[in-house]
Amino acid sequence: MRGLRSWVARRLLLGVAQTAAVVLLVFVLTEALPGDAAVALAGDQPDPERIAAIREAMDLDRPAHERLADWAAGLLHGDFGTSLASGRPVSTYIADGFGPTLLLAALTVALLVPVGVGLGVLAARHEGRLADRIVSSMTLGVYAVPEFAFGVLLITVFALRLGWLPPTAVGYGTDLLAHPAALVLPVLVLLSRPVCSLARLVRAGMIDALASPYVAQARRYGIPGARIRYAHALPNAITPAAQQLARTIDWLLCGVIVVEALYVIPGLGTVLMNAVAERDVPVVQGLAVVFAVTTVVLNLGADLVAHRFAPRAGVAA
Amino acid sequence: MTAVTEVAEIKDLRVEIESRAIVDGVSLRVLPGKVTALVGASGSGKTTTGLALLGEYPAGARVSGDVRAPDGLVGYVPQHPASVLNPARRIGALLGDIARYQVRGLPRARRREAARERILRALSLAQLPDPAAMLRRYPHQLSGGQQQRVVLAQALLLGARAVVADEPTTGQDVLTKRRIVDQLAAVARQGIGIVLLSHDLEVVRTLADEVLVMRGGRVVESGPAERLWLAPRHPWTRELLAGQTQFSAGAPALQGRPRPVLHVRGLTARHSRTTVLRAPELTLRAGECLAVVGRSGSGKTTLGRCLAGLHRDHDGEILLDGAPLPRSLRDRTRDQLAAVQYVFQDAKAAFDEHRPVLDQVARTAIRLRRTTQGEAMAEAASTLTTLGLTDDLARRSPHRLSGGELQRAALARALLARPRVLICDEITSGLDSVTRRGILDTLTGLLRDRHDLSLVLITHDLDTAALGDRIAVLDAGELVEQGQAREVLTSPRHPFTVSLVETSVRLAAGTRP
Repeated sequence: MRGLRSWVARRLLLGVAQTAAVVLLVFVLTEALPGDAAVALAGDQPDPERIAAIREAMDLDRPAHERLADWAAGLLHGDFGTSLASGRPVSTYIADGFGPTLLLAALTVALLVPVGVGLGVLAARHEGRLADRIVSSMTLGVYAVPEFAFGVLLITVFALRLGWLPPTAVGYGTDLLAHPAALVLPVLVLLSRPVCSLARLVRAGMIDALASPYVAQARRYGIPGARIRYAHALPNAITPAAQQLARTIDWLLCGVIVVEALYVIPGLGTVLMNAVAERDVPVVQGLAVVFAVTTVVLNLGADLVAHRFAPRAGVAA
Repeated sequence: MTAVTEVAEIKDLRVEIESRAIVDGVSLRVLPGKVTALVGASGSGKTTTGLALLGEYPAGARVSGDVRAPDGLVGYVPQHPASVLNPARRIGALLGDIARYQVRGLPRARRREAARERILRALSLAQLPDPAAMLRRYPHQLSGGQQQRVVLAQALLLGARAVVADEPTTGQDVLTKRRIVDQLAAVARQGIGIVLLSHDLEVVRTLADEVLVMRGGRVVESGPAERLWLAPRHPWTRELLAGQTQFSAGAPALQGRPRPVLHVRGLTARHSRTTVLRAPELTLRAGECLAVVGRSGSGKTTLGRCLAGLHRDHDGEILLDGAPLPRSLRDRTRDQLAAVQYVFQDAKAAFDEHRPVLDQVARTAIRLRRTTQGEAMAEAASTLTTLGLTDDLARRSPHRLSGGELQRAALARALLARPRVLICDEITSGLDSVTRRGILDTLTGLLRDRHDLSLVLITHDLDTAALGDRIAVLDAGELVEQGQAREVLTSPRHPFTVSLVETSVRLAAGTRP
């Protein structure tokens, strides 16, 4: 296990480097965008003198590398800096946006794993027969529909025509848990494609595992079918699914902009979109740090799961 | 005479696939404590018959006849025990499930303890050392021998009255074989009937009480092992038994001393930090066959891989005609690549399953000698024909060729590079005795006809090694002995070589453990 521990340490170090690279890249790219926070603030009266004054007040006239260095020095002390647009600390932006995003992500994952795995196992068990064909064609069909189209469709049917559910979360603030009805449609949209990819991966892995000699041996020795499927075959189908699941959780935690925008949910995706529009560089960078760390940690977790279920493969950093 | 009740029985079994009979009219009785052996070349229907005892048949097969296993409990130990151990679970997973089923009658509180007790007892019966610690391991953390014992323990735990062992000794070195033979004999002593499917005649002779000789799905001869060996009645049995080359001394030493082709100096190969091989000095002369002998894990394959540039983590020098070869394949020139060719143990894995064999064989000449497509195809076809593969066979895709045929194709593919050195890594170990003899004859023929060719023959089998002019013996990564084949085989100096030769002679003599 010592090898595993040093591997985790190496991966974390690499993760720090990757996060730094992401932050640098995001900074350079936001700098490269035309206009800056001063132009955005000046709004309808782009008077050059006024813009210059705002720039001076915001320290935007200092060279880019100095501003980056200052911000990075603050980050080392846990200070994400302050927003250029509002003057509020960036950490409050992140804290406010993280609640709804985390809630949506947690609900989605809690439904995604049993439904995705269950459909995959079901299809694999009836490979080539009716149940498999229904599951396979449905998953392929739903996967082909983009989130925004599916979201609009659901709103039209369930909110506007049938009036069962509120169309958006407008007016509910960040305390979405108090209004569960507003969560149903966004969670359904978030679920739609990940369920399909997960089910298809589990199905493929299960078909291989069910045809394997070790499953044949378990059958030969009279182990009941359900036990074989879930205790003997499924662990071998987990590895690819775990990688896919990590990507999905990452995608969910980094704020699915399309879904948040469509249902007006004040999550991280919305925060990011507004910050980019206002050229609010510290907020964008703060989010970049959060997203990068999330990605690194989740992928490390997925690799650890893969290591547990495919111990032969070994680990490479 | 008291009638012994059989633990399993097959009567007049016929298995047809697409109206072609792969097993036809086979009957056999498995008696408690007795070993019944099915022998025959690959494709003779041994495995189909053995699996029938487990109630398993190939997909789409039409089955007639009667298969009875009164208790319904038949264990199975496949050729590769690792394949039936779940790679994602600890080895105790299936054992635990089998035991759980058995202790259902007990009060809930005692079940766990009782199940564990049963598992540990089965593992001890299967002679697995330190069973409690082993239960925590994954299959890949066990040696091949330990994996086999775990699979055997599954059958013992199940309470199987009969065990089907499919080629348990194939591809094993002589000491491991000895251990497996002892182990199966011990299982039989517990009153379990064993069905041994094997083409390893030495093992069959040592173990079997009753032998059935199969060919083309039919039993051509059956009887007690001793009778069969002393007085085989069917011509096929005689041919099969003759295929077992007597343990013979090696070929006479070459006249004069031809110049060295390959010279190894101070080789130390590592896998990350572990040193796996030390070969201070080793020479391969032109036209010579050097046999490299040792148990599995002794570093034979690593030596071959170092020579071929497949294993680059080593010190020391490998000289080809006096010029050092780069360590890695990637740094070698086209000529250097062509000069040292490698033939792998698993011929099936060494071919792309979707392209005809002929194309793949011809590719070597195009890649390494820059011949045109037409020339390469012509040369590939003629080489394949020389090696005994007809034009029709050569145009098939690999999965429609037998193991022996594919191995010939792999040899042809290597020969198309016009190599100076051909490394053959256990190329006969998965084959039955008749096919093996054919391949070995082919190798002898190659050495005779191609004067510029030298062979490195990696093997665990002393009979195969006897083909060599010289023998190098490896033990636990050390080159412990090398010399003329005749001397090494008749008067071995190193204690390890002595034990290897002795065990081999004992097995060949067929003494029961």
